Amino acid sequence: MSASDEDDLLAAELALGLLDEDEAAAARERLRHDAAFAHAHARWQSYAAGLAADLGETPPAHVWSAIEARLPANDDLRTSRQLWRAGAIAAALVVLALGINDWRRVHGAPPPQPAPVMAQAAPPLVAVLSGKSGVVSVSYDPADGRLASVVSGVAAGRRAVELWVIPADGRPRSLGVLAQDRAGWRAVPARATQVLRSGVTLAVSLEPAGGSPTGLPTGPVILTGKLTTAG
Amino acid sequence: MAGSPDSALDTSLEHLLEAVAAGNRAAFEAVYRRTNVKLFGVALRILPERQEAEEVLQEVYLAVWRRAGAFDPARGTAMTWLITLARNRALDRLRASRRRPSDPIELAGDVPDPDPDAEQCALARDDATRVAWCMDRLDGDDARLIRTAFFEGASYADLASRAARPLGTIKSRIRRALIRLKECLA
Repeated sequence: MSASDEDDLLAAELALGLLDEDEAAAARERLRHDAAFAHAHARWQSYAAGLAADLGETPPAHVWSAIEARLPANDDLRTSRQLWRAGAIAAALVVLALGINDWRRVHGAPPPQPAPVMAQAAPPLVAVLSGKSGVVSVSYDPADGRLASVVSGVAAGRRAVELWVIPADGRPRSLGVLAQDRAGWRAVPARATQVLRSGVTLAVSLEPAGGSPTGLPTGPVILTGKLTTAG
Repeated sequence: MAGSPDSALDTSLEHLLEAVAAGNRAAFEAVYRRTNVKLFGVALRILPERQEAEEVLQEVYLAVWRRAGAFDPARGTAMTWLITLARNRALDRLRASRRRPSDPIELAGDVPDPDPDAEQCALARDDATRVAWCMDRLDGDDARLIRTAFFEGASYADLASRAARPLGTIKSRIRRALIRLKECLA
């Protein structure tokens, strides 16, 4: 069924914005229950979009950065950051305590004391990642290249909780899939150790079981936080 | 290679929007990479002030992130949806930030290309190319009036006042032009 010639013209006028406000409102109302009219309108919208054929200009790079910064996960972070700041130190201590217990369980001995010179050269780093729901605490000791994590309150379902570091170049590097129901230890992949510095952004995304198949986040980023020097 | 970051290049914009609706940020970035030049061109056509056009472009993509689920492939291509979204947001900004543009429209009385190559038009498969070709076949004044309506949010009444012609005259000449356009595009 196709619209009459008169209706087709009306659809064109609506798509191009030629109608005054009252006429346009009445025509838009018809879109909702007149399928032939809606079809004609869709076709004219496509033609109207064709008027942009000769338009095009590259926007500056900061537009994309601004868009990324305004995505919902980051909005949530901004409001929740103050809330979490107070809990950050306590959470980091929990991570470290759990980490040490884990180490004892695995190795049957207290962790070796790092040589003083190493400790001075690279202090441990901690981060508390927050967002809409849940929290992930992370500690990283450059002296041994290992990262400890605690995931709590993250409703991941059957998806994997994957940790990323996002350095200044904006290219996320995976730090691996995190254990969801317990404290976890992992060695940091060599390609990520160089960018694990104080001030760098960490993020957690939900990925298919086993982790992102592409090497980049494919699922929603649900938590973010910054790595800072412990103490 | 399936699943590689580059596979986004082979994925249709329609499928990418579907993934964006499911919260996929990689797909969102792919949509941006593929469409930002066109949409910034649209925003700049409507808002020549670059700062404003950049702000609108941000709003457009945030709306894409939030509302990708509202895209209905039965109602047209993803590109049409995105261009329409960008055009509407830019016009909203234009109306909110200042009075409507009121520059006079000079009707020059120029004539269309006397030698239309209908075969070339028939060969063009995408709407944009065919629309550009058919717009060139119109009387130059009519084409200008139609573009002004779409990109400046000018109604019949606005066009009549800016072109200093009676409303009825403007209305009937644009309607005639739309019928010619439709015949050319059919």
